[in-house]
Amino acid sequence: MLRISAVGLALACILCGANSIWKPDFRNIAKEAGLTAIFPNGGDTAKQFIVETTGSGVAIFDYDNDGLPDLFVVSGDGGTNRLYHNEGHDHFRDVTDQAGLHSSGWGQGVCAGDYDNDGFTDLFVTYWGQNHLYRNIAGKRFEDVTAKAHLTQDRTRYNTGCAFVDIDNGGRLDLFVSNYVKFDPATTPKPGANPYCYYRGLPVNCGPRGLPFDRNLLYRNNGDGTFSDISEQSGVAKPFGHYGLSVLTGDFNNDGLPDIYVACDQTPSLLYMNQGGGKFEEEALLRGVALDANGRALSGMGVDSADYDGSGQFSIFRSNFSDEMETLYRNRGDGNFDEVTLAAGMGGNTRFVGWGAGFFDYDNDGWPDLLLVNGHVFPEVEKLKIDIHYKERAILYHNLRNSHFKDVSEDSGPAILERHSARGAAFADIDNDGAVEVLVNNQNEPPSLLKLATSPPGHWVDLKLEGTHSNRSAIGARVKLLAGGRAQLAEVRSGGSYLSQNDFRLHFGLGASDTVDAIEIRWPSGRQQKLADQKADRVLTVREP
Amino acid sequence: MRDINIGRRAPRFYARLRYLAVIAGAGFLSMCPLYGASLRDEGIAAFRDGRYSVALEKLKSATKDNANDPDARVFLGLTQAALNECKSAMPALTWGFHLPGQDLPRMAGLAAAKCEQFSGNETKAFETLREVERRFPNDADVLYALAKFHMRAFNDATFAMFQRTPASYRVHQLSAEIFEVQARYDEAAAEYRRAIALNPKGPGLHYDLGRALLMQSHGSEALESARGEFEAERTINPEDSATEFQLGQIAQAQGKREEAARHFQRALNLSPDFPEALVALAKLDSQAKRYSVAVAALQRAIALQPSNEAAHYALMMAYRDSGQMEKARAEQQTLDGLQRPPEGEFTNFLKKLGEKPPEQ
Repeated sequence: MLRISAVGLALACILCGANSIWKPDFRNIAKEAGLTAIFPNGGDTAKQFIVETTGSGVAIFDYDNDGLPDLFVVSGDGGTNRLYHNEGHDHFRDVTDQAGLHSSGWGQGVCAGDYDNDGFTDLFVTYWGQNHLYRNIAGKRFEDVTAKAHLTQDRTRYNTGCAFVDIDNGGRLDLFVSNYVKFDPATTPKPGANPYCYYRGLPVNCGPRGLPFDRNLLYRNNGDGTFSDISEQSGVAKPFGHYGLSVLTGDFNNDGLPDIYVACDQTPSLLYMNQGGGKFEEEALLRGVALDANGRALSGMGVDSADYDGSGQFSIFRSNFSDEMETLYRNRGDGNFDEVTLAAGMGGNTRFVGWGAGFFDYDNDGWPDLLLVNGHVFPEVEKLKIDIHYKERAILYHNLRNSHFKDVSEDSGPAILERHSARGAAFADIDNDGAVEVLVNNQNEPPSLLKLATSPPGHWVDLKLEGTHSNRSAIGARVKLLAGGRAQLAEVRSGGSYLSQNDFRLHFGLGASDTVDAIEIRWPSGRQQKLADQKADRVLTVREP
Repeated sequence: MRDINIGRRAPRFYARLRYLAVIAGAGFLSMCPLYGASLRDEGIAAFRDGRYSVALEKLKSATKDNANDPDARVFLGLTQAALNECKSAMPALTWGFHLPGQDLPRMAGLAAAKCEQFSGNETKAFETLREVERRFPNDADVLYALAKFHMRAFNDATFAMFQRTPASYRVHQLSAEIFEVQARYDEAAAEYRRAIALNPKGPGLHYDLGRALLMQSHGSEALESARGEFEAERTINPEDSATEFQLGQIAQAQGKREEAARHFQRALNLSPDFPEALVALAKLDSQAKRYSVAVAALQRAIALQPSNEAAHYALMMAYRDSGQMEKARAEQQTLDGLQRPPEGEFTNFLKKLGEKPPEQ
């Protein structure tokens, strides 16, 4: 026993040593991977209207259940959304047309979920204009069932973030859609037309300030392939005066019911606390996630949540505009939060407009790190010759395991330093090798696919959950994983980041541990499941008992 | 740099007055026709069209016919002012400014101030403008005239400084401040450094440089550079509470809570009525669960500055975290009220743009 422990310690030390010298080296492999199409999104040197600034998201999901996550990239006007099939070995094939996903219009966000529980993940794409629900037909093609599902909208809306969420844990995925502004190019003022159409003295596209507010939407899944708009009766429509963008779902007060956070631009962000019975109360201000620590509303863009400090609670990260700090809200344990951005070692990057964001354990040390991608909304900013640019690099924060992060962007490989006007970002281990890749949507460019050049030092496990009593995608399932003497927490989510969708599989870095001591799953149905002594370094599929 | 158009002729100013007369025209033309009213109306119409010589003739005749017609008298004053006959114009304009109503006194007041400025009496012009502002506090034209007056004064003083003392550190300091307003922080910092090179002991220079560095970035290097500048300021200006406050903020950003608390406390020792320092220290007390201390400090900050949103927010959070939910909700309501946009023309402008609850 003593001998085994000594070996274990020695191994741990070797890994610790390796970890201390190992540095992430992210490369952009998009071109080699076959992601060469350009995704248009308005002007590249000037933008007339706000709709050119907010697109678009990306999704990583395994549409054909072959075990390899596929890619979906949303396009602005002048292009089409594209689905890329994962062929293995970091190569992707454009299957947009054969999948029936050719599109047009101002695509904004995307979220995934098996709304009809048939075992194949469906797709919802938001637009300035009409949203589209694509039903996955046996992993072979997608059928646009928007009208059939009663999701046709009665007027042009600026839909942005979305998430499938089972609001009553009844086993059927409902649908939340955030709305940004009421926008009509025929009546919206042109750049420079009023005080809200200037940036640092430059005439730029107007808004969101000065443009009319809209309200968010919640659709109940009727279980027969249709949805009903329950925005009013659920309380989701009640808050007025918010420019909604990204959507994050999660059980923030540990009551077993999913809550909904909406990052809002230039206005207080929203936190809809699930009251049960299909009712929500908006409580962001008092819970401490509406404003910054000085009581000011920031320009919230992207959002993610993780137990970054091992407290057993889901905290919230939000990316914001330039001249603002990013925001980290630490969950106190009761669904109330403290803004701890500076205390956590963040807040130094105030020249970036942040968008897609995600906690992910890039070095598999068991502590979630954080990536956010950036890019300004005004290409015109280049005229100012200042340190704020339309195309910007990403920011990578390393989790120091003491509630602090260190900005390691400058020393993490060329892909982090590449400049793009990035928007959506999604995270997944696309080749099942234990290292997480990142797909990024860049305005008017091909997307980026960030991949580590060398394998991270720690062990890992990916969990693929399959609901039976719960919704099939297991959205809302909470996993507590014990390995190497510490507990990690994660939740399966639809939506998130910036208008994007991460792979449903939960990735855990295990550090030096080559086994998982225990996995505890709280399924949305309320069922609890425990697994013990699982081998590391593999994808583990768990079906709800 | 100098606005040479503000002076003898100021044609744009009177064109604007003509415009004001046009938009206020319905009121004038609907007046009951009195004896000489047609002359008056013709005179006012000529003024609106910029035909000042015709206006002068008509309005003079109209006032002869009826010396008590306020429209005729004020518009005669406006016309005389437009023709640079300020001496003749001033009695009518001064009289017109004190009339009841809106349009006539506003135009008369603005023209009177312009005449005083034209006559070289800047002090009197400023007093008149302030008086007009007191009477019409939400009037865009009045506020514009006041802003223009200040801008001219700023331009004149700046021009004089650049002409007469080009080698002074103040030239660089002012250039830096202008760059700062334009958010060109790199250039601002460079100008502050030049000012410091010329006057290393100049009070406020290191402080301003530190602030410009922080405006540029909150990265670790920027924090450290800014800290150096504030430390330098402290050696020159040892009892400056704002410098202590900035040092506290930097320490806080660097995660040094105790050091931050010491700076904030020192700032308060130097300036006990420093609301921002009270709020900053109270937030640290809240984090340390010293809620009663935090609440007392925040209440004091609010007493000093009732509309301080940061103080109300921190108080709401302190109440929440100490379990006083009713008080927290009351603070939330206060905060909601403070964050509502103020009523006024700008808000109305937004409303016109359509900030209305959606119908659906």
